[in-house]
Amino acid sequence: MTGGYTGKILRIDLTSKSISSIDTAEYEEFGGGYGMGTAIFWDLAVAPGEWDMKDPYDPRNVLPIMVGPLAATGVPGSGRTSICGISPETFPTCEFWRGNLGGRFGTMMKLAGWDGVVVEGKADKPIWINIINDKVKIEDAKELWGRDTWETQNRITSMVGGQTRFGEEWHEIEGTYTTTRPEILCIGPIGETKSRMAALITGSGVSARIGGHAAVFGAKNLKAISVIGTGKVQISNPEWVLEARLHQMQTPNAFPIQPGAASCMPCLKADRRRSNYYGGETMCACQGWLGSNKASDSDRAAEALIKYGLSSWSAHFHAEMFSQNIPGAPAFFRGKVPTDSGLGWYLQYLKQEGLLGPGKEIDSYPLPMDQWGELSFRQAFLDAIASRTGIGDVLAEGTCRAAEKWGRLEKDKESGALRLTAWGATTHWTMPWVEWAYAYILSAGDPAWHGFMAPVGKPREGTLEQSLEKLSKCTIPYTDDIFMFNYAWKGEEAWKTGIYSPHKAKQVAWSRHYSSFWNESMAFCEMFLPELGSHSPEMEIMYYKAVTGKNDSFADTMGIGQKIWTLERAIRVMHGRSRDKEDFFPYMYMPGASGIAIYGGVPIYENGKWRNDLCRDMYLDRKGVDDFKNHFYALEGWDKEHGWPTKKTMEKLGLKRMVKTLQNSGKLGTA
Amino acid sequence: MTESKKADSKKKSVSRRDFLKGGTAAIAAGALGVYALKPETASATETSYEPSTGYIVYDNRLCLGCQSCMYACSLTHEGVASPSLSRIQIIRDAPSFTKYPYDITMSVCRQCVTPLCVQNCPTGACHIDSTNGNVRVIDPDVCIGCGTCIESCPQRPHRTVWNPDKEIAMKCDLCVDTPYWSKKGGPNGHQACVDICPAKALKLVHEPPLQTDVNGYDVDLAPPPPPPRNFMDFLKPKSDDNQKEGE
Repeated sequence: MTGGYTGKILRIDLTSKSISSIDTAEYEEFGGGYGMGTAIFWDLAVAPGEWDMKDPYDPRNVLPIMVGPLAATGVPGSGRTSICGISPETFPTCEFWRGNLGGRFGTMMKLAGWDGVVVEGKADKPIWINIINDKVKIEDAKELWGRDTWETQNRITSMVGGQTRFGEEWHEIEGTYTTTRPEILCIGPIGETKSRMAALITGSGVSARIGGHAAVFGAKNLKAISVIGTGKVQISNPEWVLEARLHQMQTPNAFPIQPGAASCMPCLKADRRRSNYYGGETMCACQGWLGSNKASDSDRAAEALIKYGLSSWSAHFHAEMFSQNIPGAPAFFRGKVPTDSGLGWYLQYLKQEGLLGPGKEIDSYPLPMDQWGELSFRQAFLDAIASRTGIGDVLAEGTCRAAEKWGRLEKDKESGALRLTAWGATTHWTMPWVEWAYAYILSAGDPAWHGFMAPVGKPREGTLEQSLEKLSKCTIPYTDDIFMFNYAWKGEEAWKTGIYSPHKAKQVAWSRHYSSFWNESMAFCEMFLPELGSHSPEMEIMYYKAVTGKNDSFADTMGIGQKIWTLERAIRVMHGRSRDKEDFFPYMYMPGASGIAIYGGVPIYENGKWRNDLCRDMYLDRKGVDDFKNHFYALEGWDKEHGWPTKKTMEKLGLKRMVKTLQNSGKLGTA
Repeated sequence: MTESKKADSKKKSVSRRDFLKGGTAAIAAGALGVYALKPETASATETSYEPSTGYIVYDNRLCLGCQSCMYACSLTHEGVASPSLSRIQIIRDAPSFTKYPYDITMSVCRQCVTPLCVQNCPTGACHIDSTNGNVRVIDPDVCIGCGTCIESCPQRPHRTVWNPDKEIAMKCDLCVDTPYWSKKGGPNGHQACVDICPAKALKLVHEPPLQTDVNGYDVDLAPPPPPPRNFMDFLKPKSDDNQKEGE
């Protein structure tokens, strides 16, 4: 197979220990990565109708770990690996959800000759999967279980990497050669004990920190997947790849490269570090996990976090720089409302209210509460969760389940102390960028997609209206509707052209379709593309055509994005998703809901004029959100009553073979 | 094959089979790589060569470890994406977690002043390309895949690279012969790895660099340091009174 695909997907059933392969061509219509993963999940977990999909730790949970066609082709920023399946992390129900990670695991999988690996079943004892090109073995992980993620990787490397000296010799694999070591995706002790906040780790700091699928690894007794490949990826036009790269490089790098910078493989943006932190590779949320000004302590805290295999996002301790005084916020915030609020903020709240501590209503044993904010506290926090000791056993279940266990869920939701936007997910940038907020409820948590933030910000040149008109040319197929970018949130304008209007539905739909295809399936890092207002969508198509040789227009690819998004929806519908379940936590409807605004805020159209506004006083209206859902469901071809895709929609998007399953379950939307 | 190569090739009528059968060297393609000879065992003789007019120097501290250069090399020369077929190797010590700057090894052909790969090639496939600035190159049509150049290379890992599909050796030719790239290469042209490096950690120079480092030409290519800035600065618009209000 050419066009960036290796042509086969590895399929491993850990229960029967059977190893087989799936023909990639069967799923090519879904692009790659998450798109293919979603379709594979449907075929293996949903369509057979033998599993209710409620328990993520059930051996029947299927984990497609997928790469896109652009990975390992020289196209920058496209080597991310997608993991999907029933997620232990989401609350109150375990939803179909995904995470992804950069680094070099995905590219190595391609070089080994695989477009992905699908893991099913459950091993009867701890194992790891050893992939050396087309040779695949299930190995005993007795010696690895209990070890941290770095030690696990080092031990596997010594077993797989041969006797060659690093950096000095080529390593031979059956007549082929490489100078690199295996790339390993693994879990730490926190994944082994099935914490819902566990993260999959590769390298020294790359993590899939959304979805909690590392706990599913733990439940399957799967410690690691190691892969080393010496092969090649066939692409349609090698020269176009280089020319596209050189074209994009004409724009100065947003991250000026200085000694010590690092990137994923291969990328143009140097947004990681080699220096300071051991081996680098971690992103901002990991580096700021301690929230300390002491850089050395922060680095060591990040190192511990990665070694234990904890998600910096699920177990987020907010950084002061993202806090500000939001008008109308509850007094308990004391003038510092955290934009990025999750577990750390909630524990701080419980502590300041005198509810959490030694011998208090919530006993903090074994956490050293007097060392709050110190490295030693974070270390104890990790130890407690990994060993499920004392409060660690509750915290391992995540913020909302902990609150539920403590009998505080409803009251702390109502008061706004539980400031997690929806589905129990740590709050990221949800307001004033409401397309981000809406994506929380419509999917299953944090979309982690920054695409519109800078483009709708205060323009560097020209008027705001000119800037938005230019932007509206990029958002194919919903072009020339400038009101898509209107963030008017109160008064008549909010319903007419603002955040509760059909215009906003188009912006949200565009972001989900784009993300589903380009970020999740073509696996472009969302910090790399889109570059709306400058390179997008030109760059995406240049790279896509160079590798795949396909003549799809950008509108065509957005159609595939909608198809993936709708199939994801169909899985959720089969799982129990309906309109009433798509709602925000109460704080989003209360004054004080907004967060810190960057890029000069968002555009507001009122009284016939455009202006930028930080919208610090923004919050949502319940009826408005309900009206928004009407517009959004209608635009997507989902029925108004339940939000279920209709037969017409499924067939139009090429999802005809999924219709019968929905119909038999009585969950096919009626127009 | 280019005309210049044809002119320069000291073709000898020795096939790979003849070479191996004759026992001229106690090596076989299957034993390449890990078992490379030590430099002193290579049969160097006192021969002088015209120096190359192009050398790739690099700055290990600037390298992102992204391997873009490796992809560029295999794409332009072989038409496929394959780090294993790249004539430049960027090796990251992950997952062994060595500290910066020792976490990355840049393995770049030195275009040696005394090229043992050329000197020891039994067929003349590995030769000095005098019409392209004396770059040390391997003619794929003449190479018999004996592996002598790989054995002879004094660097570790060896800069000459085995191509298992074609069963021949390859080496950096400063992009003299790039069938999948229309840009003119060579010492007076473009090099795919240099052009594509986002960190500008690779650079072509025309004078022979200092020969003190036998592994390569690791030099200082770092740009002037930028003024100190806050982590969030890159997110801000250039001029924004509204933002100040928000802080």
